[in-house]
Amino acid sequence: MPISKYSVDNVVFATSVYGERWAGPDGDRLTIALQLLQSETASTIQIDSFVESLEYTPSTPVSSIIESTTDWKVESDGQYHLIASNSSFIVALTKDEHLSQWPDLSLGKVIDEDRETSIHRAWKKEVSGVSQGAYVSQSQHMLAMPSRLGLHAQEDASTIVWPPRQLNAEGERIAPASNKLDNRAFILTWTRLSAAGAPSEFSLRAPLLGGVSTVLVEFASGPKGVFMLADDEDGQASIGQEVSFEVRRLYGQDELIHYGLKALLI
Amino acid sequence: MVDVAMVGAGQTKFGNHPLGLKGMWSEAIEKAFSSVDNDCLPSMVDEAFIGSIAFGGSQLGNTAALLTEHSGMDGVSVRRVENACASSGFALRDAWMTIKSGQADIVVAGGIEKMNDLSAERKRYWLGVSGDTEWERLAGLTFPGTYALTARRYFHEFESTHDDLVHVSVKNHMHGFDNEVAHLRKDVSFEKASSGAMVADPLTLYDCCPTSDGASAVILVADHLAHQFTDTPIWVKGSGAGSDKLALHDRPSLTQLRATQLASQKAYSIANIQPDQIDLAEVHDCFTIAEVLATEDLGFTGRGEGGRFARDGQGRRNEGEVTINPSGGLKSKGHPLGATGTGQAVEVFKQLRHQVESPRQVRDAEVGLTHNVGGSGATCAVHIFGRER
Repeated sequence: MPISKYSVDNVVFATSVYGERWAGPDGDRLTIALQLLQSETASTIQIDSFVESLEYTPSTPVSSIIESTTDWKVESDGQYHLIASNSSFIVALTKDEHLSQWPDLSLGKVIDEDRETSIHRAWKKEVSGVSQGAYVSQSQHMLAMPSRLGLHAQEDASTIVWPPRQLNAEGERIAPASNKLDNRAFILTWTRLSAAGAPSEFSLRAPLLGGVSTVLVEFASGPKGVFMLADDEDGQASIGQEVSFEVRRLYGQDELIHYGLKALLI
Repeated sequence: MVDVAMVGAGQTKFGNHPLGLKGMWSEAIEKAFSSVDNDCLPSMVDEAFIGSIAFGGSQLGNTAALLTEHSGMDGVSVRRVENACASSGFALRDAWMTIKSGQADIVVAGGIEKMNDLSAERKRYWLGVSGDTEWERLAGLTFPGTYALTARRYFHEFESTHDDLVHVSVKNHMHGFDNEVAHLRKDVSFEKASSGAMVADPLTLYDCCPTSDGASAVILVADHLAHQFTDTPIWVKGSGAGSDKLALHDRPSLTQLRATQLASQKAYSIANIQPDQIDLAEVHDCFTIAEVLATEDLGFTGRGEGGRFARDGQGRRNEGEVTINPSGGLKSKGHPLGATGTGQAVEVFKQLRHQVESPRQVRDAEVGLTHNVGGSGATCAVHIFGRER
């Protein structure tokens, strides 16, 4: 989902396409912020107040998510401040720590309020409830984050390797990631799981979204991967179609939100 | 080297079973031992291998010890074997290797799963634990999703459509209709199977096997004991196994199961049997597309010809060179995960002894094959059985 940007007095504001009222079915202030940062020239940034504005706690530190996903560096005396409104879904990038006023960015894609409320409730229940979903530990999320969010890839005898692997067939340890995959790939195959067929960790949201779409893609450098499809309400995947990737919420578990890349049809 | 014979085999009905773990396992064991022509007792067993994914977590540790305790095998060297849906296929292979190595003379291989007493949420969770949790599951994939990805790619690469999968479904329901131990005993028309509710596009409800409860067990013995127990032992002529990368996206081909190819090549080689000598095959049709791939990977038809093979009805009982899934397969007979592999062997045992109730008997069955796959193809065990040693 592209963000909407609005600049005034050296401050760049961003919202989702829904305007300041909603960040979308799998968006939040952090996903908006990541896109905002990716669209600006990278520098250093302070994020303390931004972290406090998040509705739920991410499963990995926000600073790590930003640095895995973008070229920005999080520093306590960073040149810029990342700030978010606590009452709306507006994110600002500014050199001033305090904003005197948040702009009115209420215009955007029309929101189905019942659907929005239902999805909001589903997230709340999913995060706070006892999930029957797949369990991937916080430490494992941390270890894989550069690959999961930033598409960092290894190289083994001139073959690009992603997701990360340990030993090769010769028993040699494959060196840590030194490459980065393109942010675009082509669909080799796809499916749409009905709500009843979706994994249990998506069981609350899948009925509201009309199912869950997944694409298996191939990157130009060789590796393949599977990703959930996002923002596909108005389109359907097809083999050979190109996709790009954005960080979105994946699922909630144990009071934490897990983030990952999702594919968007181009 | 020692040859291995199957002298007994038994199973529960697959489906929504009223008995608990101990009851189901003891029923399978009871039936297996009572199927042996001459006296054979649980207390005579040297080793036991029991396949299971451990029934939704209710007895994750020491599963096998619990089950043998309740089936007259107290004191037997026993362990649980876990390779997802191929668990008891590998239990069978481990039992075969144990006798081959000369370390045991009488070995039980079996499997068990109890899924239908789980909540819907827990069942869906448990059914998905055998994929790549970190990279597939978090992308929204369940096994219906994984096989749906394969099916769509297969249609893209070859001259095949969903109709070919419908033919698989109709055939297996037809085979299972007369099978008294099958989970779904209903004849399904092509029209009905074509219009099932979508589960994972393009796979519908009629492309997916049911989640079943069940237990199955076979008794293997060393060659020098075979005729002590029966005049018609079924010989385990070959056993092969293979593995592949766990996640579908990590494999070079999305439309072939390398684990099946490796396992079958090994089994054919040991048995000195060619695919065209197989009279019947119980193949792992957890989803209809899986049977299409299996007919190719096992060598019954050429690459990309599996759709046509199904369309032409070549796997129908007594109509083609080989009968595919005379039991009804996972699609109709059912799929109690850990019990499926040895459940396939139970069917082959009866077919090769010509003891299957009419009209299910495959005519002149001499050589049979079982094909048991774990997950979306990360593991596979293939066995070849014959009436002749």
